[in-house]
Amino acid sequence: MADPSLTDPSLDRAARRVIDAYLAEVTDHLGGPSGARAAILAELEDGLWTATAAQQAQPMSPEAAARAAVAEFGHAGAVAAGFGPELAAATGRRVGLGLLATGPLVGSSWLLVTAATWRWAGREPPAALGLVAGLVGLVLVVAVPAAMVAVAVSGRLSRWLPVGPQVAATAAATAASACVAGDLVLLTGMLTAAVLAGGMAWPAGLLAAGASGLRLSLAGRAARRCLAARATLL
Amino acid sequence: MLKGHLDGLLLATLEAGPLHGYAVMEALRTGSGGRVDLPTGTVYPALHRLERAGLVRSRWSTEGGRRRRSYALTEAGHRALAGERSSWQEFSGAVSALLEGRPWPTPA
Repeated sequence: MADPSLTDPSLDRAARRVIDAYLAEVTDHLGGPSGARAAILAELEDGLWTATAAQQAQPMSPEAAARAAVAEFGHAGAVAAGFGPELAAATGRRVGLGLLATGPLVGSSWLLVTAATWRWAGREPPAALGLVAGLVGLVLVVAVPAAMVAVAVSGRLSRWLPVGPQVAATAAATAASACVAGDLVLLTGMLTAAVLAGGMAWPAGLLAAGASGLRLSLAGRAARRCLAARATLL
Repeated sequence: MLKGHLDGLLLATLEAGPLHGYAVMEALRTGSGGRVDLPTGTVYPALHRLERAGLVRSRWSTEGGRRRRSYALTEAGHRALAGERSSWQEFSGAVSALLEGRPWPTPA
Protein backbone atom coordinates (compact mmCIF):
# COMPACT_ATOMS: atom_id res chain seq x y z
CA MET A 1 0.00 0.00 0.00
CA ALA A 2 1.38 3.46 -0.94
CA ASP A 3 2.64 5.75 1.83
CA PRO A 4 -0.28 8.20 2.43
CA SER A 5 2.20 10.98 3.25
CA LEU A 6 3.18 11.00 -0.40
CA THR A 7 -0.27 12.35 -1.31
CA ASP A 8 -0.80 14.28 1.93
CA PRO A 9 2.56 15.42 3.29
CA SER A 10 0.92 16.82 6.44
CA LEU A 11 0.61 13.19 7.59
CA ASP A 12 4.39 12.92 7.73
CA ARG A 13 5.75 13.65 11.22
CA ALA A 14 9.11 14.95 10.06
CA ALA A 15 7.46 17.28 7.55
CA ARG A 16 5.06 18.50 10.23
CA ARG A 17 7.97 19.24 12.56
CA VAL A 18 9.58 21.40 9.84
CA ILE A 19 6.36 23.34 9.20
CA ASP A 20 5.53 23.70 12.91
CA ALA A 21 9.03 24.97 13.69
CA TYR A 22 8.75 27.57 10.95
CA LEU A 23 5.32 28.71 12.14
CA ALA A 24 6.61 28.93 15.71
CA GLU A 25 9.39 31.19 14.48
CA VAL A 26 6.88 33.39 12.65
CA THR A 27 4.76 33.50 15.81
CA ASP A 28 7.73 34.77 17.80
CA HIS A 29 7.94 37.79 15.49
CA LEU A 30 4.21 38.56 15.25
CA GLY A 31 2.51 41.16 17.44
CA GLY A 32 -1.02 42.49 17.30
CA PRO A 33 -4.42 41.11 18.32
CA SER A 34 -4.44 37.36 19.03
CA GLY A 35 -7.30 36.72 16.59
CA ALA A 36 -5.45 38.42 13.75
CA ARG A 37 -2.26 36.49 14.60
CA ALA A 38 -4.12 33.17 14.66
CA ALA A 39 -5.71 33.92 11.28
CA ILE A 40 -2.31 34.77 9.77
CA LEU A 41 -0.76 31.56 11.10
CA ALA A 42 -3.65 29.42 9.84
CA GLU A 43 -3.34 31.04 6.43
CA LEU A 44 0.43 30.56 6.30
CA GLU A 45 0.10 26.95 7.43
CA ASP A 46 -2.32 26.20 4.61
CA GLY A 47 0.03 27.92 2.16
CA LEU A 48 3.03 25.97 3.45
CA TRP A 49 1.30 22.61 3.10
CA THR A 50 0.08 23.55 -0.37
CA ALA A 51 3.65 24.53 -1.27
CA THR A 52 4.93 21.26 0.23
CA ALA A 53 2.51 19.24 -1.88
CA ALA A 54 3.58 21.25 -4.95
CA GLN A 55 7.25 20.52 -4.20
CA GLN A 56 6.43 16.80 -4.22
CA ALA A 57 5.79 17.03 -7.94
CA GLN A 58 9.51 16.26 -7.99
CA PRO A 59 10.57 13.02 -6.32
CA MET A 60 11.54 13.90 -2.76
CA SER A 61 10.56 12.95 0.76
CA PRO A 62 7.77 14.86 2.52
CA GLU A 63 10.36 16.31 4.91
CA ALA A 64 12.54 17.56 2.04
CA ALA A 65 9.45 18.99 0.36
CA ALA A 66 8.50 20.78 3.59
CA ARG A 67 12.03 22.22 3.85
CA ALA A 68 11.79 23.41 0.25
CA ALA A 69 8.39 25.01 0.98
CA VAL A 70 9.82 26.80 4.02
CA ALA A 71 12.73 28.04 1.93
CA GLU A 72 10.26 29.24 -0.69
CA PHE A 73 8.31 31.21 1.94
CA GLY A 74 11.49 32.92 3.09
CA HIS A 75 12.90 34.03 6.42
CA ALA A 76 10.27 33.81 9.16
CA GLY A 77 11.20 37.24 10.52
CA ALA A 78 10.79 38.85 7.11
CA VAL A 79 7.40 37.18 6.60
CA ALA A 80 6.23 38.35 10.02
CA ALA A 81 7.58 41.85 9.37
CA GLY A 82 5.51 42.00 6.18
CA PHE A 83 2.39 41.67 8.31
CA GLY A 84 3.55 44.47 10.65
CA PRO A 85 1.56 47.27 8.97
CA GLU A 86 -1.63 45.19 8.85
CA LEU A 87 -1.28 44.12 12.46
CA ALA A 88 -0.63 47.73 13.48
CA ALA A 89 -3.77 48.77 11.62
CA ALA A 90 -5.75 45.93 13.24
CA THR A 91 -4.45 46.92 16.67
CA GLY A 92 -5.28 50.59 16.11
CA ARG A 93 -8.74 49.75 14.82
CA ARG A 94 -9.54 47.39 17.65
CA VAL A 95 -8.38 49.87 20.29
CA GLY A 96 -10.19 52.77 18.59
CA LEU A 97 -13.47 50.86 18.36
CA GLY A 98 -13.10 49.62 21.92
CA LEU A 99 -12.59 53.11 23.28
CA LEU A 100 -15.48 54.54 21.26
CA ALA A 101 -17.73 51.75 22.52
CA THR A 102 -16.74 51.90 26.20
CA GLY A 103 -16.36 55.67 26.52
CA PRO A 104 -20.09 56.40 26.68
CA LEU A 105 -20.58 53.61 29.24
CA VAL A 106 -17.89 54.97 31.56
CA GLY A 107 -19.12 58.54 31.05
CA SER A 108 -22.74 57.55 31.72
CA SER A 109 -21.78 55.75 34.92
CA TRP A 110 -20.10 58.91 36.26
CA LEU A 111 -23.05 61.07 35.17
CA LEU A 112 -25.24 58.68 37.16
CA VAL A 113 -23.01 59.21 40.19
CA THR A 114 -23.25 62.98 39.80
CA ALA A 115 -27.03 62.86 39.47
CA ALA A 116 -27.52 60.42 42.35
CA THR A 117 -25.12 62.21 44.70
CA TRP A 118 -26.11 65.79 44.12
CA ARG A 119 -28.96 66.50 41.68
CA TRP A 120 -31.49 63.87 42.81
CA ALA A 121 -30.50 64.43 46.46
CA GLY A 122 -31.18 68.16 46.06
CA ARG A 123 -27.61 69.00 47.15
CA GLU A 124 -25.37 71.66 45.67
CA PRO A 125 -22.40 70.08 43.80
CA PRO A 126 -18.95 71.19 45.00
CA ALA A 127 -16.93 73.67 42.90
CA ALA A 128 -14.30 70.95 42.34
CA LEU A 129 -16.82 69.14 40.18
CA GLY A 130 -16.59 71.93 37.62
CA LEU A 131 -12.81 71.49 37.44
CA VAL A 132 -13.23 67.72 36.96
CA ALA A 133 -15.79 68.31 34.20
CA GLY A 134 -13.44 70.77 32.48
CA LEU A 135 -10.51 68.35 32.55
CA VAL A 136 -12.67 65.48 31.30
CA GLY A 137 -13.88 67.76 28.51
CA LEU A 138 -10.26 68.36 27.49
CA VAL A 139 -9.64 64.62 27.50
CA LEU A 140 -12.68 64.06 25.30
CA VAL A 141 -11.50 66.71 22.83
CA VAL A 142 -8.34 64.63 22.34
CA ALA A 143 -9.61 61.06 22.81
CA VAL A 144 -12.74 61.05 20.65
CA PRO A 145 -11.21 62.51 17.46
CA ALA A 146 -8.08 60.37 17.93
CA ALA A 147 -10.14 57.18 18.28
CA MET A 148 -12.20 58.15 15.24
CA VAL A 149 -9.05 58.75 13.21
CA ALA A 150 -7.71 55.34 14.29
CA VAL A 151 -10.90 53.64 13.11
CA ALA A 152 -11.16 55.65 9.90
CA VAL A 153 -7.62 55.14 8.64
CA SER A 154 -7.62 51.42 9.47
CA GLY A 155 -10.80 50.60 7.55
CA ARG A 156 -12.19 51.05 4.08
CA LEU A 157 -11.42 54.75 4.08
CA SER A 158 -7.75 53.72 3.90
CA ARG A 159 -8.30 53.41 0.14
CA TRP A 160 -8.64 57.18 -0.14
CA LEU A 161 -6.71 58.46 2.86
CA PRO A 162 -3.02 59.16 2.22
CA VAL A 163 -1.94 57.78 5.61
CA GLY A 164 -0.82 54.36 6.71
CA PRO A 165 -1.27 51.96 9.62
CA GLN A 166 1.33 53.92 11.57
CA VAL A 167 -1.19 56.75 11.90
CA ALA A 168 -3.87 54.30 13.08
CA ALA A 169 -1.57 52.98 15.80
CA THR A 170 -0.44 56.48 16.81
CA ALA A 171 -3.99 57.82 16.94
CA ALA A 172 -5.19 54.82 18.95
CA ALA A 173 -2.26 55.18 21.37
CA THR A 174 -3.12 58.87 21.78
CA ALA A 175 -6.79 58.07 22.41
CA ALA A 176 -5.93 55.32 24.89
CA SER A 177 -3.45 57.55 26.74
CA ALA A 178 -6.05 60.31 26.91
CA CYS A 179 -8.53 57.81 28.36
CA VAL A 180 -5.99 56.80 31.01
CA ALA A 181 -5.63 60.47 31.92
CA GLY A 182 -9.40 60.90 31.89
CA ASP A 183 -9.97 57.93 34.17
CA LEU A 184 -7.31 59.15 36.59
CA VAL A 185 -9.01 62.58 36.65
CA LEU A 186 -12.43 60.99 37.19
CA LEU A 187 -11.30 58.62 39.92
CA THR A 188 -9.29 61.12 41.91
CA GLY A 189 -11.45 64.17 41.14
CA MET A 190 -14.82 62.59 41.81
CA LEU A 191 -13.69 60.85 44.96
CA THR A 192 -12.10 64.08 46.21
CA ALA A 193 -15.24 66.05 45.35
CA ALA A 194 -17.37 63.47 47.15
CA VAL A 195 -15.19 63.62 50.26
CA LEU A 196 -15.21 67.41 50.26
CA ALA A 197 -18.97 67.48 49.78
CA GLY A 198 -19.57 64.93 52.52
CA GLY A 199 -20.39 61.76 50.65
CA MET A 200 -21.35 60.00 47.45
CA ALA A 201 -24.13 57.73 46.24
CA TRP A 202 -21.93 54.70 46.81
CA PRO A 203 -23.67 51.98 44.78
CA ALA A 204 -23.40 54.17 41.69
CA GLY A 205 -19.96 55.38 42.81
CA LEU A 206 -18.59 51.86 43.12
CA LEU A 207 -20.00 50.94 39.71
CA ALA A 208 -18.44 54.02 38.08
CA ALA A 209 -15.12 53.61 39.91
CA GLY A 210 -15.01 49.95 38.86
CA ALA A 211 -15.77 50.84 35.24
CA SER A 212 -13.14 53.59 35.22
CA GLY A 213 -10.57 51.40 36.95
CA LEU A 214 -11.12 48.60 34.46
CA ARG A 215 -10.99 50.95 31.50
CA LEU A 216 -7.87 52.64 32.89
CA SER A 217 -6.10 49.30 33.12
CA LEU A 218 -7.20 48.15 29.66
CA ALA A 219 -6.50 51.53 28.04
CA GLY A 220 -3.01 51.57 29.56
CA ARG A 221 -2.26 48.15 28.11
CA ALA A 222 -3.83 49.15 24.79
CA ALA A 223 -1.67 52.28 24.57
CA ARG A 224 1.46 50.19 25.14
CA ARG A 225 0.36 47.66 22.50
CA CYS A 226 -0.29 50.43 19.98
CA LEU A 227 3.09 52.03 20.64
CA ALA A 228 4.78 48.63 20.29
CA ALA A 229 2.96 48.01 17.00
CA ARG A 230 3.97 51.48 15.80
CA ALA A 231 7.59 50.88 16.82
CA THR A 232 7.79 47.84 14.54
CA LEU A 233 7.03 50.10 11.56
CA LEU A 234 9.64 52.76 12.28
CA MET B 1 8.20 50.01 -10.34
CA LEU B 2 6.55 46.69 -9.52
CA LYS B 3 5.65 47.93 -6.06
CA GLY B 4 3.59 50.74 -7.52
CA HIS B 5 1.54 48.21 -9.47
CA LEU B 6 1.36 45.45 -6.87
CA ASP B 7 -2.31 46.08 -6.13
CA GLY B 8 -3.19 45.89 -9.81
CA LEU B 9 -1.28 42.62 -10.22
CA LEU B 10 -2.99 41.03 -7.23
CA LEU B 11 -6.42 42.23 -8.31
CA ALA B 12 -5.79 40.86 -11.81
CA THR B 13 -4.97 37.38 -10.48
CA LEU B 14 -8.33 37.34 -8.70
CA GLU B 15 -10.34 38.50 -11.69
CA ALA B 16 -11.05 34.97 -12.92
CA GLY B 17 -12.26 33.80 -9.52
CA PRO B 18 -11.37 33.33 -5.85
CA LEU B 19 -7.86 32.13 -4.96
CA HIS B 20 -6.01 31.45 -1.72
CA GLY B 21 -2.78 33.27 -0.90
CA TYR B 22 -0.36 30.64 -2.19
CA ALA B 23 -2.41 30.24 -5.38
CA VAL B 24 -2.11 34.01 -5.93
CA MET B 25 1.68 33.73 -5.62
CA GLU B 26 1.66 30.82 -8.06
CA ALA B 27 -0.59 32.69 -10.49
CA LEU B 28 1.82 35.64 -10.48
CA ARG B 29 4.78 33.32 -11.11
CA THR B 30 3.22 31.24 -13.85
CA GLY B 31 1.40 34.17 -15.46
CA SER B 32 4.67 36.08 -15.80
CA GLY B 33 6.85 33.15 -16.82
CA GLY B 34 8.61 33.37 -13.47
CA ARG B 35 9.49 37.06 -13.81
CA VAL B 36 7.10 38.18 -11.06
CA ASP B 37 8.12 36.10 -8.05
CA LEU B 38 6.95 38.07 -5.05
CA PRO B 39 7.84 36.97 -1.52
CA THR B 40 5.30 35.62 0.94
CA GLY B 41 5.90 38.60 3.21
CA THR B 42 4.67 40.84 0.41
CA VAL B 43 1.74 38.95 -1.13
CA TYR B 44 -0.16 37.81 1.96
CA PRO B 45 -0.03 41.18 3.78
CA ALA B 46 -0.98 42.97 0.55
CA LEU B 47 -4.07 40.76 0.25
CA HIS B 48 -4.98 41.71 3.82
CA ARG B 49 -4.50 45.39 2.98
CA LEU B 50 -6.71 45.06 -0.10
CA GLU B 51 -9.37 43.44 2.04
CA ARG B 52 -9.13 46.25 4.60
CA ALA B 53 -9.61 48.71 1.75
CA GLY B 54 -12.70 46.81 0.59
CA LEU B 55 -11.21 45.79 -2.76
CA VAL B 56 -11.25 42.05 -2.00
CA ARG B 57 -13.18 39.95 0.48
CA SER B 58 -11.96 36.77 2.09
CA ARG B 59 -13.79 33.62 3.03
CA TRP B 60 -12.59 30.74 5.19
CA SER B 61 -13.26 27.15 4.20
CA THR B 62 -11.90 23.76 5.20
CA GLU B 63 -9.76 21.87 2.69
CA GLY B 64 -8.29 18.52 3.64
CA GLY B 65 -8.83 19.26 7.33
CA ARG B 66 -7.03 22.61 7.12
CA ARG B 67 -8.53 26.07 7.29
CA ARG B 68 -8.13 27.89 4.00
CA ARG B 69 -8.65 31.59 3.34
CA SER B 70 -9.66 32.49 -0.19
CA TYR B 71 -9.89 35.95 -1.66
CA ALA B 72 -12.33 37.28 -4.25
CA LEU B 73 -12.74 40.66 -5.91
CA THR B 74 -15.48 42.96 -4.67
CA GLU B 75 -17.32 45.37 -6.95
CA ALA B 76 -14.94 48.10 -5.78
CA GLY B 77 -12.07 45.72 -6.59
CA HIS B 78 -13.31 45.27 -10.16
CA ARG B 79 -13.49 49.06 -10.55
CA ALA B 80 -10.03 49.50 -9.02
CA LEU B 81 -8.63 46.88 -11.41
CA ALA B 82 -10.05 48.76 -14.39
CA GLY B 83 -8.39 51.92 -13.05
CA GLU B 84 -5.07 50.12 -12.52
CA ARG B 85 -5.18 48.77 -16.09
CA SER B 86 -5.87 52.20 -17.48
CA SER B 87 -3.06 53.88 -15.52
CA TRP B 88 -0.62 51.07 -16.45
CA GLN B 89 -1.44 51.41 -20.15
CA GLU B 90 -0.87 55.15 -19.94
CA PHE B 91 2.37 54.70 -18.00
CA SER B 92 3.75 51.90 -20.18
CA GLY B 93 2.77 53.82 -23.32
CA ALA B 94 4.67 56.86 -22.10
CA VAL B 95 7.76 54.80 -21.16
CA SER B 96 7.69 52.97 -24.51
CA ALA B 97 7.46 56.30 -26.31
CA LEU B 98 10.45 57.61 -24.37
CA LEU B 99 12.53 54.48 -24.99
CA GLU B 100 11.71 54.45 -28.67
CA GLY B 101 12.09 58.20 -29.15
CA ARG B 102 8.47 58.67 -30.18
CA PRO B 103 6.31 61.62 -29.16
CA TRP B 104 3.76 61.02 -26.38
CA PRO B 105 0.85 61.08 -26.50
CA THR B 106 0.77 59.73 -30.03
CA PRO B 107 -0.53 62.44 -32.35
CA ALA B 108 -3.99 61.59 -33.75
